[in-house]
Amino acid sequence: MAILEIQHVSKFFGGLAANSDVSFSMEEGMIMGLIGPNGAGKTTLFNCITGYYPPSKGDVFFKGRRMNGLQPDKVCKLGMVRTWQKVRPLGKLSVVDNVMVGALCRTNSLRVAREIAMEQIEVVHLSHKADFLAGGLPIGERKKLEVARVLATKPDLLLLDEVMGGLNPSESEEIIRLILDIKARGVSQMVIEHDMKTIMRISDRIVVLNSGEKLTEGSPDEVVQNQAVIDAYLGESHA
Amino acid sequence: MATTTTTSSSKAALVKLAIALLIVGSLFAVPRYVSSPYALHIMILIFLSTIMGESWNILGGYTGQYSVGHAAYFGVGAYTTVMLMQFRQVPPWIGVWAGIAAVLVVALIIGSICFRLRGPYFVLASIAVAEIMRLSATNLNSITKGAEGILATEIPVFKIGEHVVTDFLTKVPFYYIGLSLALITIAVTWGVQHSKLGYYFQAIREDQDAAHSLGINIPLYKNIGLAISATLTALAGSFYAIYVGFVDPTTVLSLDLSVQIVLVCIIGGIGTIYGPVVGAIALVPLSEALRSNVIAEGIFKTGFVDPASATGTFLKENLAHAHVLIYGILVVIVILFMPEGVLGFIRKLGSRMKKGKA
Repeated sequence: MAILEIQHVSKFFGGLAANSDVSFSMEEGMIMGLIGPNGAGKTTLFNCITGYYPPSKGDVFFKGRRMNGLQPDKVCKLGMVRTWQKVRPLGKLSVVDNVMVGALCRTNSLRVAREIAMEQIEVVHLSHKADFLAGGLPIGERKKLEVARVLATKPDLLLLDEVMGGLNPSESEEIIRLILDIKARGVSQMVIEHDMKTIMRISDRIVVLNSGEKLTEGSPDEVVQNQAVIDAYLGESHA
Repeated sequence: MATTTTTSSSKAALVKLAIALLIVGSLFAVPRYVSSPYALHIMILIFLSTIMGESWNILGGYTGQYSVGHAAYFGVGAYTTVMLMQFRQVPPWIGVWAGIAAVLVVALIIGSICFRLRGPYFVLASIAVAEIMRLSATNLNSITKGAEGILATEIPVFKIGEHVVTDFLTKVPFYYIGLSLALITIAVTWGVQHSKLGYYFQAIREDQDAAHSLGINIPLYKNIGLAISATLTALAGSFYAIYVGFVDPTTVLSLDLSVQIVLVCIIGGIGTIYGPVVGAIALVPLSEALRSNVIAEGIFKTGFVDPASATGTFLKENLAHAHVLIYGILVVIVILFMPEGVLGFIRKLGSRMKKGKA
C-alpha cells in the first residue's frame, strides 16, 4: 500500500504557482528522493504535505487518509513529521529536553519521554552532549538533534529537508548512514537534497521538480539519464 | 531545566528542600514576633507581587507570550469579589471562585482572539484588551460605580461552625493568606515546570513552528497557559481587593499595574521558578523606600547636605516625588546589566566562582 499519495497538488502564492499539479505516490519503507533546482517548490511541497499550508488544489493521502486541512500537530500525531531546512533547535532547552518534546507526542510521562529521548540521542551519536543547551551546538550537531527529535515522535514517514546542507563530507557521511539505518528500521523517508551523488546513493526512487511542476520520476538510474533533468540542471544549451 | 540525576545533585536537592522548609517555617512564624503593621504590610505587598509575578511568568516566562494586559485578569477578579461582597453579601472566600470563573471566561475569549497574533502584535492586543476592561469599568456606572470605585465597608467574619477563625481586623490574617497564596503559585509553577505542560510551553516559547511540527496543538496549549496564569492573577486581584478594601479602575485595571506585573518577572528572572520571588523582594521594598523620604534622609546623614540649607529643603520636598523617576532609572540599569534578571545574574556569578575555585 502506498504510504503517501499526492494527487494533483497545486499551491499558488498570488499569481505564482509554487507547485502545480504535482502527483506521485510513495511505497511504504522506501526512501524517496525529492530533487530540483533552487525554487523548484520542494520545500513548499513539504509544507503542503505536513499541514503548514493547505494545498490550493489537489489532495494528500497519508496511509489512505485525506490530510488536507489537518494542522501540523495532528499530522505529527498520525505519524508523519518533517525537519526544517533551517534548523530550529529549542535554544534554551538542553539536547535531551529538545528530544523529550518530540517524545511527549506519544506519552504523558516525563520518565518514559526521557528514556525515549536518550535512546534517540544515542542513535544520532549525541549522548555526550545530552545536557548541553541546544542553542550552543555547532551546525552538524544541530542537524543530528533535529533528526533525533523527529525520530522521538515515532513516525512512520519522515520528511527530511536538506539535513546535509552545510555539513562537511564526514558529517554528511554520518547522516547518510543514519538515514539508511532509519530505513532499516522500517521508517519511510522522503528526502530533499541538493547533492546528486548522495541522493543517487540513498534513494529508491526519485521525483524531480522544476518550476513547481513534476519533471519526471523514476529510479536513480533512469532519472540521471533523463534528458529533461539534464536540461533543467545544466541548461538547455548543454550537449 | 534540571536534567542531571547524579547522587550529588540529589543531595543538593535535599539541602535545597531543607532550606526552603526553613524559610517557609520562619515566614509562618513572623507574625508571632513582628507586631509592626507597617512591616507586615510590606511583607503582604511582597507576597502579592510574588503571586502576580509567578502567574504572569507561566504565560510570559514559560510560554513566551508577553502579555502586558494582566491587569484585566487582576481587575476582573478584584471587581467580581468586591461587588459580590458589597452588593450581594457573598463572603469573599466564596466570591473569589466567581471571580476566577469570570476571569476564565474573559481569558478564553481574549485567548481565542489574541493568540492568532505573534510577538509584538500579541503584546499590543493584550494591552488593548486590558484598556477595554478599564474603560468599561470606568463607564459602566450602574454596575461598577465608575471612576468613583467601590469601597468594601465590611468583611464578614470567617467562621467554621461556631468557631471564629478570623475577623480580618488586623493584618495578620492577610499575612497568612498572602503567604499561602504565594506558596500555592510557586507550587503551581513548580508543577508546570516538572510536567509535560512545562516542556510544551517552553517549546512554544523557543520556536512555535518547530513545536507545531512536533505534535503540539499550539492554540490549545497557549490557552491552557493563559487559563492557569489568569486564574492565579484573579486570586491575586481578589486578595488585593479584600486587603485594601477598595477597587477603582485606575488601581486594579491600569496599564501601570500590567507593567508592574511584567517588571517583577523581568527584574527577578523570566522563565524561572524563583525569579518572580526575587523580583518581588527587590522591587517592593525599593518602591516603598523611594516613596518615603529614605533617600533624602540618607543624604543628610552622610553630611554632604545640611537639611536646613536651601538644597536640603529642596531635596526634602522633591526627592519623594521623584520616586517614579528613580525607580525607572534603576529598572533600566538592571535590564541593561542583568538581562537575565537578578536571579540569572546571581547564578552566573555563582557558576563563575565555582569555575574560579576549580
